[in-house]
Amino acid sequence: MANQIDGLKDALVGLDMNKVLDKVKAGLDAGVDPMDMVKDLQAGMVEIGDRFARGEYFLSELIMSGEIMKQAMALLEPKLAGVDQEYKGNIVIGTVQGDIHDLGKNIVAMLLKGAGYNVIDLGVDVPAEKFIDAVKENQAPLLAMSVLLTGCQDPMRDIIKAVRDAGLDVKVLIGGNYVDEKVKEYCGADYFGTTADDGVKVAKEVFGA
Amino acid sequence: MSDKKKLYQERLNRYVTAMDVGKPDRVPIRLNLSEFLAKYAGYTLQEIYYQMDKNIESSNKFIQDFDVDTVPGPPSLWMGGIHDATGAKYLKFAGRELDKDKQFQFLESDYMKAEDYDDFIENPTKWILTTLLPRLHTEFKDPYRAHLSLIKGAAGMVMNQGMLAEAGKRWAEEYGIFPPFSGMSKAPFDTLGDVLRGLHGIMMDMHLCPDKLLAALDVLVDHNIYYGMATAAGDTTLPLFMPLHRGSYPFLNPEQWDKFYWPTLKKVIEGLWKHGKRTLFYAEGDWTPYLEKIAELPDKSIVFHVDMTDMKKAKEILGGRFCLSGNVPNTLLTYGTPEEVSDYCKKLIDEVACDGGFIMDAGGVVQWDAKVENVRAMIETTLEYGVY
Ligand code: B12
Repeated sequence: MANQIDGLKDALVGLDMNKVLDKVKAGLDAGVDPMDMVKDLQAGMVEIGDRFARGEYFLSELIMSGEIMKQAMALLEPKLAGVDQEYKGNIVIGTVQGDIHDLGKNIVAMLLKGAGYNVIDLGVDVPAEKFIDAVKENQAPLLAMSVLLTGCQDPMRDIIKAVRDAGLDVKVLIGGNYVDEKVKEYCGADYFGTTADDGVKVAKEVFGA
Repeated sequence: MSDKKKLYQERLNRYVTAMDVGKPDRVPIRLNLSEFLAKYAGYTLQEIYYQMDKNIESSNKFIQDFDVDTVPGPPSLWMGGIHDATGAKYLKFAGRELDKDKQFQFLESDYMKAEDYDDFIENPTKWILTTLLPRLHTEFKDPYRAHLSLIKGAAGMVMNQGMLAEAGKRWAEEYGIFPPFSGMSKAPFDTLGDVLRGLHGIMMDMHLCPDKLLAALDVLVDHNIYYGMATAAGDTTLPLFMPLHRGSYPFLNPEQWDKFYWPTLKKVIEGLWKHGKRTLFYAEGDWTPYLEKIAELPDKSIVFHVDMTDMKKAKEILGGRFCLSGNVPNTLLTYGTPEEVSDYCKKLIDEVACDGGFIMDAGGVVQWDAKVENVRAMIETTLEYGVY
């Protein structure tokens, strides 16, 4: 039965949109468990993230794979209704207040989703209360924030302080182009990342999976 | 010659000599300070976005207090009032949608759709006027308001430009200072990718309709050359400002970069150079993988600005043929001490500026977070240690 979806992962890694969609359709027709297909696709996204980390893939490949994934999931999601998707855990993500740069954040979110986490994306220009509410509501063990503007790093520090003051038991990961150890310390975050795959690495550590 | 006039000439010579890859009397200092200027002068961002006189005043305070060779004109490039006149949907401003001290925000989207390519290629200006502007502005809901809003917007623009020209004269006469660039343009791929198609759109186009994308990029070459010369009012002493966005690593893979980003950007730069106009290649982010290609440009046709690009490699590959600038890390200006900043500048002077062709500047645009004492350390170190 599984042979309908043989090569599904490789087709995604090879960015062959038609092949991926054909395989998913064929799989559904043949009654393959949609969850198995989701797992294959997720494995493909992890491989794509690794290639990005090795400098073999660029943003254009990440965005293309995201689009293929989106279309494949559009076919799969109706069949997943009622099936409990087994997420590895909840992660809240957003670009901090004052900053609207979201290209990097979107890619981090995409890779995290691809790796099997449930990602709650709050968008851009996100104030402290919104982060706090989302972490509470989803009991998220990991809060990820993106910041590109150095001028928004100080406000990010305030947000992190507000999160801690709210007594939430959550690890804070920050990332962006001008983020480094110094910024992490200044803002009081637990982890920092400068590339999208750092997000997945930290998530693995926090969730142990 | 008055003292200020003499100072002006000295500074300008120093700057131009460095851009010609020569050795002036000392390393010139250009500081790309944006919102930093407003904060330093004590204005809120709403004030500088909405009141041109305060926007201009912010620069005055800084150039009175510091001895730099050149700083860009006032901190705000986009005035709120002009955008309000037409009801721009793609921008948010302090005091309107945002708090009074918040930076303006741009909402990225695919304002141009993939279906628009044919009309765009046929006649870009017409397409912008008839299709894009109505999509982007609330005042275009009916023709009557649309006409009025364009008149209001254009009148506002003319008034602003007039005030800026006046300010430029005053800066020259009273402070002996000139702007670091005249005119502005973009890489054709950025014209499409930043504002029209958005990142997701243009990335998909490379896969799904590459020929149309290439044709649209070609159409933009002459336009972007013309736009550069027109906004510079024909000046060729100062370089043109070209902030470069979606060609930095890791946006495009090398084949895509060679096929979609570089050919039309190269044509724009070469076209400007034929008019005698040099380009300030403001390479935001990391451009290390593309340095060899950039070296194909005619000698001295650009000033290559270093943000996160590997400075050593830039010097190796571009040095001697092109002036380099920048690279003082923005986080150092915010979190570092004056000593650390000073050490970093000394290292740049020793290793990069040593044989000329270098302009001191921060890596990225300097925002309100930079510490005044660190900016001072940068300037003082260059004034003392940067003497050839
Ligand atoms: C594209 C861009 C824009 C676009 C944004 C479009 C959008 N939808 O996001 C536009 C044109 C709108 C824009 C506007 C502005 N920009 Co801008 N922009 C850039 C640019 C060129 C690229 C950023 C980018 O998207 N890179 C691609 C993505 C994928 O990379 P990334 O964001 O770095 O993300 C990666 C990593 O950092 C990391 N990461 C990011 N977030 C996170 C989060 C986590 C949790 C983790 C683990 C990792 C992680 O993973 C990502 C993938 O590898 C940068 C320069 C540069 N090359 O970095 C300037 C830059 C960020 N911009 C800058 C500025 C100043 C502005 C403006 C103020 C300019 C102006 N005056 O007009 C406005 C800001 C408006 C606002 N309120 O925010 C400056 C900031 C300077 C500073 N001191 O901080 C920069 C650095 C340019 C420069 N060298 O001066 N910009």
